[in-house]
Amino acid sequence: MASGSEEGGTGIQIDEYESLISTTDVELLKRAWRHEKAAPEILQYEGALVQRIREQIQLMVETVEEFAESGIDPLTVSLYEMDLDRTQFLLRSYLRIRLHKIEKYMIHILKTDLWNRLSEQEQKFAKRCTDDLGKHLEQSVLSRLPDGYKSLLKQSTASEEDDMVSEPQLDTFVICKSKRDLGTFQLDDSGGVPVELLAGNLNILRYKSIKPLVESGQIDLV
Amino acid sequence: MGHYYDIDDILIEEELVSVVFQKAANGVGILDPGAETSTVEQGSKVELPFWLAHELHLRQAVSVNVPACFDQKTRKEIQADAACVDLRNRCAYFYELGCKIAPLVGDKTIGALLLYAFKSRYKDVLIKAHTAAFSLAPKFMTLLTNEETNLYEAAQSSMAAFKRWRMGGARFQRAAVLGKKRRPDD
Amino acid sequence: MYGREARQLVKELSSGENGQLKAFNSDMVDQVTKACSVHHLELQSLIRKIQEEGLDTQTTRNADHFGALIHHLALIRNKRCLMAYVYNRADSIRNLRWKVGNVLPQEIKGKLSHPEQEYFKNHDTALNLYMSALDLDLTVDFVPPKDPYIQVRVIDDIGEVFLSDKKTNLVCHSIHFLKRNDAEQYISQGLMEELMG
Repeated sequence: MASGSEEGGTGIQIDEYESLISTTDVELLKRAWRHEKAAPEILQYEGALVQRIREQIQLMVETVEEFAESGIDPLTVSLYEMDLDRTQFLLRSYLRIRLHKIEKYMIHILKTDLWNRLSEQEQKFAKRCTDDLGKHLEQSVLSRLPDGYKSLLKQSTASEEDDMVSEPQLDTFVICKSKRDLGTFQLDDSGGVPVELLAGNLNILRYKSIKPLVESGQIDLV
Repeated sequence: MGHYYDIDDILIEEELVSVVFQKAANGVGILDPGAETSTVEQGSKVELPFWLAHELHLRQAVSVNVPACFDQKTRKEIQADAACVDLRNRCAYFYELGCKIAPLVGDKTIGALLLYAFKSRYKDVLIKAHTAAFSLAPKFMTLLTNEETNLYEAAQSSMAAFKRWRMGGARFQRAAVLGKKRRPDD
Repeated sequence: MYGREARQLVKELSSGENGQLKAFNSDMVDQVTKACSVHHLELQSLIRKIQEEGLDTQTTRNADHFGALIHHLALIRNKRCLMAYVYNRADSIRNLRWKVGNVLPQEIKGKLSHPEQEYFKNHDTALNLYMSALDLDLTVDFVPPKDPYIQVRVIDDIGEVFLSDKKTNLVCHSIHFLKRNDAEQYISQGLMEELMG
């Protein structure tokens, strides 16, 4: 039995509780959107969050319609509308960025465990995209090449691995900021100076080196 | 290979480098314009695109010479006044080729040269991008490598975007793919 | 020889003015494909020669081997250029779906090869299936919203259309106050322009 955490009472937990209630779904979506925008690879699909946001959007649409019909002050209506528009933009943009990444790295995604990060619909889309592109490349180029060179994945039968697949570049630089002190980190194997990640500091680091921190939600990409 | 489909990566590897064949190769025709038969003899000096030179070097079939754009003359000019050197004319992919060629020729000074050249020129590129008049392409653009041109354009477009944001301008734009605007009443 | 034509093909991709597609260069593609076959023939004949001399093709490192190697390298280089040409064009073609909608203007359609036109249609279907499964149109809302309404001028004859369930007559040069989402597609297609207050 964890006695302290049950009541959510003391010390640090109050902080966490406060940060929890100040984190609305829209804020969470904004964060997911920012991360998806900044990270070179596709991140875990925020299924539950998207579901909640869509319900909230539906509710807002109904509210705006009601207001408009009942003749409430047009300014109030338009404020609600603007809020609604913003949320919808975030959602659409979030889903679009993911589609773009899928389009760009589809073959890579299909054969790695990145596949599990996609929603069910995204998986269907990725599958279809890969088939379409494969067919197109086959028809336009591959079928016309000599035997041994017709593969979509290997440059020739002499290649040991799939050397034609585009992968996201994980060693690209990202701008990040942590909410709390995370201590010092050895950022790569080259034996460079360890970097101290302090709360609120902006750092420009290689995505690869902070990937685990991004995935566990300890650091924000901006 | 992470960049199999990358256009720039492909074009960088088209840069010609001079190699000396350590092994003879039969049946390769016009590879060596000076040769009278279709065989390239051991010891022939030939200009090859980087992609071919690199693979042959891996298999010890050729040795690669340091390309002319990293010669002493260029180095001296860069040391004297890096910003004024016409790198584009020497090699449009100066930095990228440098990075790719350095391990092949075993010249450790190339890294330092690239870093020095880039650092000193980048400052200049940024200053000019923010101050130069927008529409006319300044003459110094002709001195820049492709990467520097990209940086210059990125700096200019982010400056333009910042101004648009501050002044409030049209946010919706016609798709670039449709080409230049044609007035329907023309 | 040795990737000269293939290089031209890739150059074409990079020289296009900001994101504009050029006509599919099927002549050049044919030439490069043919070069691949020539390299393959040379490669095979050199390998046959090694075999005829009773040598092991895997371990032999004579002049014939290096000749064959060069042809092999040239072949995969040509393949890379061909693939990059079609692949990067496919990338632009997918973007067209976002930028100009699901019906291509004739001037763009004319620049695509038949397989490319087919690919555009297939990709459009894939995207539509995704959006209808989600019940959400993702082809609007490209610019972060400020006001729900914007002022626009029509710069081409669009005619009568339904905008947010209202019938509107979009005559050339007329000025309208429209919902942002309604106007977005028309602006992107170059049929309207946003007016600044």
